Amino acid sequence: MEAVLANLREWYQDRKQRLDLWDETQTARQDNPMYILGGLVWLSWMIVIVSGIVLMLWYIPTTTGAYRSIEHITYDIPFGWAVRGLHKYGGDMLITCITLRIYRMYFAGEYKKPGELTWMILFSALVLAMISGVTGYTLEWNQRAFWAAKVILTVPTYYDDIPLIGNLGLGHAIAYIFLGGPALGQGTLTRFYSIHFGISIVLAIVAETWFYRTRRRRLNVSAFVIVLVLAFLAFVSFINLPDLGQWANNNRTPLPVLSDWYFLALYQVVKYMPPLWAGVAPALLIGYGMLVPFLDRTKETLPTRRPFFFVVGLLALIYWIGFSALIMLNIAVISRDPPYIWGITVIVLFAALLWELAYRRRQAQRAAAAAAAPAGASRPAPRPAAS
Amino acid sequence: MKLDRRGVLKALTAIPVVGALIAVLSPLFRFLKPNDKPWGIFTITPDLPQGGAQVVGKVSQLAKPWDSFYFTYVQKFVQYTPEGQEASNVPGVAIRLPKKVKFVNSEGFVGFEGETDIVLFSRICPHLGCIYNYVSDWHEVSAGYGGFRPPGFEEHALMACPCHFSIYDPEYPDNPGNVISGPAPRGARYFRFEVHGDDIVVTGAEVGAIAKCAPGAVAGAAAPPRET
Ligand code: HEM
Ligand code: FES
Repeated sequence: MEAVLANLREWYQDRKQRLDLWDETQTARQDNPMYILGGLVWLSWMIVIVSGIVLMLWYIPTTTGAYRSIEHITYDIPFGWAVRGLHKYGGDMLITCITLRIYRMYFAGEYKKPGELTWMILFSALVLAMISGVTGYTLEWNQRAFWAAKVILTVPTYYDDIPLIGNLGLGHAIAYIFLGGPALGQGTLTRFYSIHFGISIVLAIVAETWFYRTRRRRLNVSAFVIVLVLAFLAFVSFINLPDLGQWANNNRTPLPVLSDWYFLALYQVVKYMPPLWAGVAPALLIGYGMLVPFLDRTKETLPTRRPFFFVVGLLALIYWIGFSALIMLNIAVISRDPPYIWGITVIVLFAALLWELAYRRRQAQRAAAAAAAPAGASRPAPRPAAS
Repeated sequence: MKLDRRGVLKALTAIPVVGALIAVLSPLFRFLKPNDKPWGIFTITPDLPQGGAQVVGKVSQLAKPWDSFYFTYVQKFVQYTPEGQEASNVPGVAIRLPKKVKFVNSEGFVGFEGETDIVLFSRICPHLGCIYNYVSDWHEVSAGYGGFRPPGFEEHALMACPCHFSIYDPEYPDNPGNVISGPAPRGARYFRFEVHGDDIVVTGAEVGAIAKCAPGAVAGAAAPPRET
């Protein structure tokens, strides 16, 4: 027991030393634009925090005042549109950069030793950024915000239906706590406002402490890139700051109703699955993400040398894009599709498993052949098969 | 950990520490849900919304089969705001069916004593709480709500939800309002109502929406008074 704890502590200390969250100095591939993502994450985060604080000067967090106050910010306050645009598109950019970086780390095998802790922190950051996103959208108190919040906060109530555990009321307690009462209303808006602000501020303090103690760089990109990003965000806000849509109306759900782009795939999954599964599936997905560095234990980083995990990642990417497309084009047939999707998933995963086994057998054969061959005196030992 | 004398002593000292921790955390939970008694946060019955009897419409508005009207039934919900309570609408739909049915669902909730050809559903979707629509032409359901094509005997007015395309059949045999397509785990929720002359009077609603609750519970007139 003691030994296990000591090992854990040692592991944690070592990985903490090698954290590579923002400056991306642990990978010597500065010429590749995929390796400025760390800096861009920090940059967009700061844009979002600063613009968010400016928005707070004018935003009114009440069910009756929120919508009007954002209209006021957008159309009356000088450069209000720019601040709102920077916040909105800055948030989108933050989530885009984290997502791209997660996919990069996945396919380049960067979550392997010593990158496990970096990967886990980034993965949690994606979840927290998405929570910031929904709570942010809810602040607009328009139709989309209202119904997204309502749907998301009803999901936990199904946790009370998990078989064998019995109804402990825990799911309802979760929903109640976030709703600030049994139904969506002022209590919810107030709590979402607090969460939306709180996540970033608390994490920013933690990050600053870390920078202070490690002397790592916050923004390891050139001034040119920074100016480019700011100009781009301002330009997009100028030409295309989306309308607020309609004021939240608790008597009418619009048809069609869409979520933010990063929730679209999940939204499609919720249409396909019974609600309890749809509530458990994201938890499993997060669990897989957090544990994958410990599941995929070979040293190989090339995708073709770890076929199974490569295919799982590819499948996730394809489903993410495919489901988002399905829901945007509104072409899915809810009563017909699920068996096909299950079928494809099972077949592909099974094929990936076969590929992995075949690959490992070939590796083992090659190793055996090399060992059997008359070895020259100074020949390097053959690589052991992936285990 | 070995269970020697030191281990046992350590474990013993841990008990008051854990106890103190729990004692500190309990009010913290209630801080998040202030109307609860200690430990009440994990109780299964949530605060029931209060409604009472309300006239929602007239029988004469439903002259022909598949005639319908929307109405709202107002309930008070507890909210953790300075006002403490907030009025909330439960949108409903009243429908005239072509024939009389028993308005009792498979959860055992009785919406009407005896047989009736008028049925009243809560439009709060039992899936994840959106408001579904009464669609008098089923072709519109096929076109706009996830491509569902009803079988021959269900080619009549249906109820369909914009959020995840759950479809409900108001005339479903032995379980009016049952879900016939989509992810909803159960049929549409009922209002409990009486007919007084031409008036349709709602006296309660099957507990639902966010405050999903034990099957058969009634919110409204029959709800127990809330402690403050
Ligand atoms: C991870 C960080 C964050 C993300 C992803 C995020 C995202 C969003 C989004 C998408 C909106 C809706 C914007 C719109 O369409 O108008 C929003 C609104 C808002 N956010 Fe944030 N936000 C973040 C952090 C913050 C912080 C740190 C603050 C305050 C210091 C803040 C304050 C606000 C305010 C006041 C609004 C309402 C005004 C409005 O909707 O335009 N946000 N946020
Ligand atoms: S909320 Fe109606 S189908 Fe999901």
